[in-house]
Amino acid sequence: MNSASTQFVPSRRMGIHEPIHQMAMWGDFKGLDTSPPMILEVEAKLDNQSEDTSHGIDGPSNKYDQEASKPADKVLRRLAQNREAARKSRLRKKAYVQQLENSKVRLIQLEQELDRARRQGLHVGGALDNSQLGYSGTTNPGIATFEMEYGRWVEEQNRQISDLKNALHSDIGDVELRLFVESGMRHYFDLFTMKATAARSDVFYLMSGMWKTAAERFFFWIGGFRPSELLKVLLPHLEPLSEQQRLDLCNLGQSCQQAEDALSQGMEKLHQIIAETIAARLLGDENYYQQIGAAYEKLDALVRFVGQADHLRQETLQQISRILTTRQAARGLLALGMYFQRLRDLSSHWSSHPREST
Amino acid sequence: MQQAIPYRGWLPTAATPPGNSSSGGDTKSVRKLVAENAVVVFARKGCCMCHVVKLLLHGHGVSPTIVHVDDQNEADVITEISEINSAAPQFPAVFVGGELFGGLEEIMGAHISGELVPRLRQARALWL
Repeated sequence: MNSASTQFVPSRRMGIHEPIHQMAMWGDFKGLDTSPPMILEVEAKLDNQSEDTSHGIDGPSNKYDQEASKPADKVLRRLAQNREAARKSRLRKKAYVQQLENSKVRLIQLEQELDRARRQGLHVGGALDNSQLGYSGTTNPGIATFEMEYGRWVEEQNRQISDLKNALHSDIGDVELRLFVESGMRHYFDLFTMKATAARSDVFYLMSGMWKTAAERFFFWIGGFRPSELLKVLLPHLEPLSEQQRLDLCNLGQSCQQAEDALSQGMEKLHQIIAETIAARLLGDENYYQQIGAAYEKLDALVRFVGQADHLRQETLQQISRILTTRQAARGLLALGMYFQRLRDLSSHWSSHPREST
Repeated sequence: MQQAIPYRGWLPTAATPPGNSSSGGDTKSVRKLVAENAVVVFARKGCCMCHVVKLLLHGHGVSPTIVHVDDQNEADVITEISEINSAAPQFPAVFVGGELFGGLEEIMGAHISGELVPRLRQARALWL
């Protein structure tokens, strides 16, 4: 900073020699109406000149007496002010452009992330309703992975259903049919494993059923199908049944019902406990994070509940396969697969043909 | 239906004389409890899984002995059960006929497969 220049400042010209390392923000000069061309003109004239030039301009004027040089003074002052404004404007512009550049980079990053997530979400095979696509815009990688895997699961499921259909209509032997039954069962168990991983990522998402189609969601119970309902769906398609089988299936239905009721009541208790934890000491804000933290810990119980419900589904399927013959089990699996397929088809039809009020 | 087991709410650690070492007192308590009662459930207070286990057992006419595990006795209970079973337990932990049956998962599995009732009968938790 040229200290010499400050020496020559008469009182009138104090504004000119404000330290120029002061960076003004873009908004600072909002009111300033210096037309851009004039600033640029001034810039062009003075750009290559150092501060000494302004000092030089001031120099000669100091020789003049104040009374004699008033008009020239004013012009010079205005020029100097313009220079200053131009300088400030340039600095502001530089800062603004830098900000824009940063935002542009960030925007590109966000677009890439969104694109990636959408692509993964769009891989979902069976579910076609828009709500599913919208939800998969989430950037939770665990859930994005789950949605992708579930899409593949549904595609594989459809393949298995048609293979099973063909197998049952052919004269395939029981031993070979058993293989179909076992791979069918294992496919359901794979889904339970996938769900367990997803639950650790986002249990609320899993429980919302947003990963399934609308009609399937209607029948949702703790993250999936209700085993007792399943049994009711299957029963008529398993005939003819022996008396023992009928009795065993009836008992199984009852056991399922009891287990479901117990789990449901357990869930209600968990609801209560979490609600109480969140609601405790609402009006004392020192405890805010403590209460949130306490409620957060209870969410682990939710993950375990989903696991228990899936375990119940798995046990029920296994028990059914123990009670039935291979051929009955194959028919049962086919019926089950077609039932869910119909629900999915219903959902996609429903979402693509919105009902108009007449 | 006859209630086979009286409902007891608290682990009698509170009743052990202050002179005893806590681990000694707990050892007796845990072993004693599972030996004296056909069905014992060790669970943390307010545990919803325990609630589910209770309901399932009630459905069979069994009133299990519930033992509340809290911060004070938890370590001792875990140590004790690990010694008996050479494996750390997960709560809720269910003992039937003096043996560790498992958790909610095992109870549920046995309930569905039909194995639970015979085991309960064997442990004399059921009279029918």
